[in-house]
Amino acid sequence: MLPLVSLTLFLPLVGAVLILCLPKPATRTVHVIAIITAALTLIGALSMWFQGASGAGFSQVEELQWIPAIGAAYRVGVDGISLPLVLLSAVLFLVAVIYTSSLRERPRAYIALVLLLETASIGTFTALDGILFYVFFEVSLVSMYFMIAGWGHEDRQRAALMFFIYTLLGSLPLLLAILGLYLGSPEPTFDMRAWIENPPLEGAAAMWALIAMLITFAVKIPAVPLHTWLPAAHVQAPTVGSVILAGVMLKFGTYGLVRFALQMTPDAFREAGVVVLILGVVSALYGAFAALAQSDLKRLVAYTSVNHMGYVIVGVAVAALTLDPSVRTVALDGAVLQMFSHGLVTGALFLLVGMIQDRAHTREMGELGGLLKTVPMLGWTFVLAAFASLGLPGLAHFPAEFQIFLATLSASPAAVVVILGIAIIAGTFLKALRETFLGEPRQRWQSMPDLSAREWLAVGPLLVLTVGTGVAPSWVLGIIHRTTSALAL
Amino acid sequence: MARDLALLIPEIAVLLTAVGALIAEMLRRPQIALLVAVSGLIVATGLTVSLIGEDTTVFGGSFRVDDLSVWAKLILLPATILAIFLARVDVRGTVREGTVYSLLCFATIGALVLAGAGDTMFLVLGTLLTGLATFALVAYPDTDPATEAAMKFFVFASVTGAIMIFGLSYWFGAAGSTLLADLPGMDTMPMAVLLGFVAVVVGLGYKASLVPFHFWAPDAYEGGPLSIAAYLSVVPKIGALFALAQVVRDLPPESGWTAIIAGLAVLTMTYGYLAALAQTNVIRLLAYSSIAQSGYFLLGILAVGASELALPSIILFAAAYAAMNLGAFAVAASTGRTLNDFDGLGRAQPLIGLAMVIFLLSLVGIPPLAGFVGKFLLFAAAIDVQYTWVAVVAIINSVLSLAVYLRLVVPMYRQGNVVVARTDIWLKAVLIIALTVTLLLGVFAQVFVGPFA
Repeated sequence: MLPLVSLTLFLPLVGAVLILCLPKPATRTVHVIAIITAALTLIGALSMWFQGASGAGFSQVEELQWIPAIGAAYRVGVDGISLPLVLLSAVLFLVAVIYTSSLRERPRAYIALVLLLETASIGTFTALDGILFYVFFEVSLVSMYFMIAGWGHEDRQRAALMFFIYTLLGSLPLLLAILGLYLGSPEPTFDMRAWIENPPLEGAAAMWALIAMLITFAVKIPAVPLHTWLPAAHVQAPTVGSVILAGVMLKFGTYGLVRFALQMTPDAFREAGVVVLILGVVSALYGAFAALAQSDLKRLVAYTSVNHMGYVIVGVAVAALTLDPSVRTVALDGAVLQMFSHGLVTGALFLLVGMIQDRAHTREMGELGGLLKTVPMLGWTFVLAAFASLGLPGLAHFPAEFQIFLATLSASPAAVVVILGIAIIAGTFLKALRETFLGEPRQRWQSMPDLSAREWLAVGPLLVLTVGTGVAPSWVLGIIHRTTSALAL
Repeated sequence: MARDLALLIPEIAVLLTAVGALIAEMLRRPQIALLVAVSGLIVATGLTVSLIGEDTTVFGGSFRVDDLSVWAKLILLPATILAIFLARVDVRGTVREGTVYSLLCFATIGALVLAGAGDTMFLVLGTLLTGLATFALVAYPDTDPATEAAMKFFVFASVTGAIMIFGLSYWFGAAGSTLLADLPGMDTMPMAVLLGFVAVVVGLGYKASLVPFHFWAPDAYEGGPLSIAAYLSVVPKIGALFALAQVVRDLPPESGWTAIIAGLAVLTMTYGYLAALAQTNVIRLLAYSSIAQSGYFLLGILAVGASELALPSIILFAAAYAAMNLGAFAVAASTGRTLNDFDGLGRAQPLIGLAMVIFLLSLVGIPPLAGFVGKFLLFAAAIDVQYTWVAVVAIINSVLSLAVYLRLVVPMYRQGNVVVARTDIWLKAVLIIALTVTLLLGVFAQVFVGPFA
């Protein structure tokens, strides 16, 4: 049996090392190696997908002794919650390296960072050991810092520094929580499966651990009021950085919320569920209103992420609060599917915004206008992605948000006010579409080229998957549902 | 007697090495002195390997051959070799080159004596031995700043040493013995225990540059040769911290020593990083960073005797710290002493730049690097003995430290003047060894933690 998970996990790292070791490679060679590595990783992720996940517990587990003296080991595996996220990461990183293949400025270091980040991302989703999870969680931060600081826009140093310090400060409480879980275990171990099976903490200790985790994940998700790093980082990050940051790294937060907070401190989470629910509702509504107020296209997309991630928080909180297992399953199905859909849709949106910026060197909606006539293909793909983002039926977000709202309605009806977010986001995108794409084309954008083959290859797969997930969500939901319905809390 | 000497073989080997290097220097053969010093230290390291797992004492309990003392040898002897490599770059061709190698070996013996101390007199002996050798080393360049630095260092050492001896007389009076193992006998005299302990903390705290006994460190690091700064920041410091761990193993827990250590830990970490934030000289920045790192060791010392994680965490972090700190100093040796010298280093010398980034991130404690594994266990040890608040302060300080080290990293990737980095073969060797350890220590952590479980 091939160790599929480990292969998929470390393939990008091997690619990165290979690129760094080649003596003075041509730019072209670097990009070819990157695309091949990412493609192979996607194949690995797909074979993991077809191996599937059994209902309860983890599948495809691979284990290796590491520090037996303290109960730490290299443990990886997947279940129905992590598997879609692994697939999502592999897809997004492949389109990211395809998109970035036109980069000429120090491509070697950049590609190495992207591939390192891919290993860190897949690692975060597959790790089954507390230390291992934390290692991957933090490595992703370092590579993202250097991507923003080295290849970002005007004010990148400040944004990168803020991102690094903010999220490091955010993730250290998780370290405390992990130590707490470790010291609380009857048999000291870092095995996350053991922590899930028998939550080691109870009472006040569990509540403190939960608070620490909530801080970490709220920064990462990001949830209001800990979201302030996000717009700054997104606006300054290079396009691929934004795609990965929003598409993959925000999911670390929501994934952690399910995997750690919900599964390892379930009782404390149930007690604090209302607070988390309010946090989610406020986040979703605040993100929507903030998006409405933006004139910078990239900031706008960044704030819609705050809104969409807010729905995920609501879904997880409802799952913790409800006593009815079937409602819980619906809520978690929706939350996990929402993570998957958000990665696809926001990834596409950030790519398209990046393409506009490459051409116009501005992201101000007021300066653009009439682009639908000048660059019809770019325009229509943006319209499709925007409609997906505002939750149009038949596109990826609809089945996810529908399930979240359905569960919310039956568990805590008052929280359904969050549905207002949909209307505001719809307004936001319609306004953005009108200002950017509709109206008479302007003279200065006359010579703007339409989508190139490279750009089609980057954004096309995401749109196909968006439609595919919207029309027939069952291909993802099947796997998610098998795990969420077997979840014992 | 024969058994005792057999257990002391590594120390004896280092002593012979130091003498051998000195003889070679007298014959005006500095290359041979270098060869003798390096090969002697390698042999001594090799001789130590067979002692792993020993837990005994020699000479009537006055010197301990236990995990702390064995691992001190396995960490400090290779660290001394790296420091000798760095020193080679600094002093090559100077008049008394060979004495530097010899003195480094003598100072290391002092650090090993400290790390294995089972008797209060060994604390005094170890402090003096490292002190005498290192004053001369700091003053070696014979320039005004170096002489001034050595003078400050010496005066500070004399005063703190005197205080320590004064305090130890209380312990001798109360316990009726100089053996550390007899300290529990004086639990009827809490004031004597505490007074003696404070004095010991002054004496060893100066050597480990704990705040508020750290004032000499930035000046001595800056004034003396860079290689000696690197050495001072690693070998005597780890020796003194291990000695502190040996002392607290036998202290009655109810005497309240943990509160003193906890306070010192918080003060040292916070002050070290705050002061480092304000530096523009790389050596002073690294000096304050190494002061702050000593504070992290105290988290482990806090848990000695009460948590199984304490000793493994101290030892693991010592190994990590030695590698990453020597590495950072080696990069500074190849680049320059001011922040401006680092402008554009990462673009002009990508590999050295990458190495520096790895050393600095490891000092912050970013996984999966060596510093993370060490600090992670230190935090666990502190939480295990209910000192969660100290761990929380340490964690907040880690964020502060990121700001400190990024002050070095950010200019490295600026479009800057083309850096002319020296790439001596000796520097390269240090960089490669330090980098390997920093990268791989986490994977092989079991080696350090294993014997304890």
